[in-house]
Amino acid sequence: MIETLLRRTLENLWSYLPVLLVALFVSNVIQSRRSARVMDYFLHGRVRETLVAVSLTGLLTPGPLAAYLPVLKALRKLGFRLSLIAAFITSQTLVGPGRLFMEVSYFGAWFFAYRVVASFAIALAVGAIYALLERRGMAWEGAERS
Amino acid sequence: MLDTPTTQPSPPPWTTLLVTTLKDAVRLLPLFALAVLASTALELFVPRDWVYSILGQNPLLAIPLATIAGILLPIPRYATYPIALALYQKGATLAVVYALIAGEVILGALERDIMEFRFFGWRSYMLRLVLCTVFVILTGYALQVLL
Repeated sequence: MIETLLRRTLENLWSYLPVLLVALFVSNVIQSRRSARVMDYFLHGRVRETLVAVSLTGLLTPGPLAAYLPVLKALRKLGFRLSLIAAFITSQTLVGPGRLFMEVSYFGAWFFAYRVVASFAIALAVGAIYALLERRGMAWEGAERS
Repeated sequence: MLDTPTTQPSPPPWTTLLVTTLKDAVRLLPLFALAVLASTALELFVPRDWVYSILGQNPLLAIPLATIAGILLPIPRYATYPIALALYQKGATLAVVYALIAGEVILGALERDIMEFRFFGWRSYMLRLVLCTVFVILTGYALQVLL
C-alpha cells in the first residue's frame, strides 16, 4: 500500500513538475520585465483616484506581494488613501499571471477567467468598503507610522 | 520620484531568470512534494462518495469549509493545486475548488502578513482578512449557481 502511494506520488509529481516550472519561469520573466513599468505608472498618479485602475493594476502585477509592500507604504505616506492600497493588495494576492498555467491546465480557461473576474470584483468591493469607512472618519491605526 | 525597490535599470539576462526559477523550484519542491503526497493519498484511500458527501453534495456548507481550509492550510502558493485537483477528481465541485484556491492566498507568507500588519495597522489587516473571506465565500456561491 505504501509502495503504491509512493509510486503514484512520484508519477504525479513528475507530471506536475513541467507545469510548475513553466509557471515559475513565466512569473519571474513578467516580474523582471514588467513590474518597474507597472509600478512607475502606479507611482505617477494616473490611477490614484480610481479603484478600478488600482484593482486592475493589482491583477496584472506578478510576484509576491511582499516585494510591493514597501512601495505601498511609501505611497500611503504620500497621501494614497488606504482604500486604494487595500484594493491593490486584495487583487494582487488573489490572482496572478503565474497561476494561469496551473489553473487552465487543471480546471480549464473558463475557471481561470472566473477567478480573474471574481478577484477584480472582490478588490473593488473591499476598496469601496474601505472608502466608505474612510468617509466616516475611520482611523487606521499604524497608518501614520514611519 | 520615489526610489523604489522595483525600479530596475535593465531586465536581468535569461540565464539569471532560469537560475532564479530553479532556485524557486528547489525552495518550493519539498512542500510541493508533500502536497502531492497528500493529494495522492486522498486519491487512493479516500472514497469518492465520502468526498462527494462533504464537498460535492452540500455547497452551502462545503464552500465556506473549503475557504477556511484554504486559509488555514500551511502550504505555499502553487502547492494547493494538486490537492484541489484531487478533490475535484473525487467529486468536489469547481466552486469548492475555487474557494480552496482563493482562500489559500488570503493569508500569505508570515513575512508578508507581518509587513502588512506593521505598515497599515491591525484594523486594516483584520478588516481585509474578514472581507476577503466573506467575498470569497460569496463568489464561490455565485460560481456554484453559474455552473
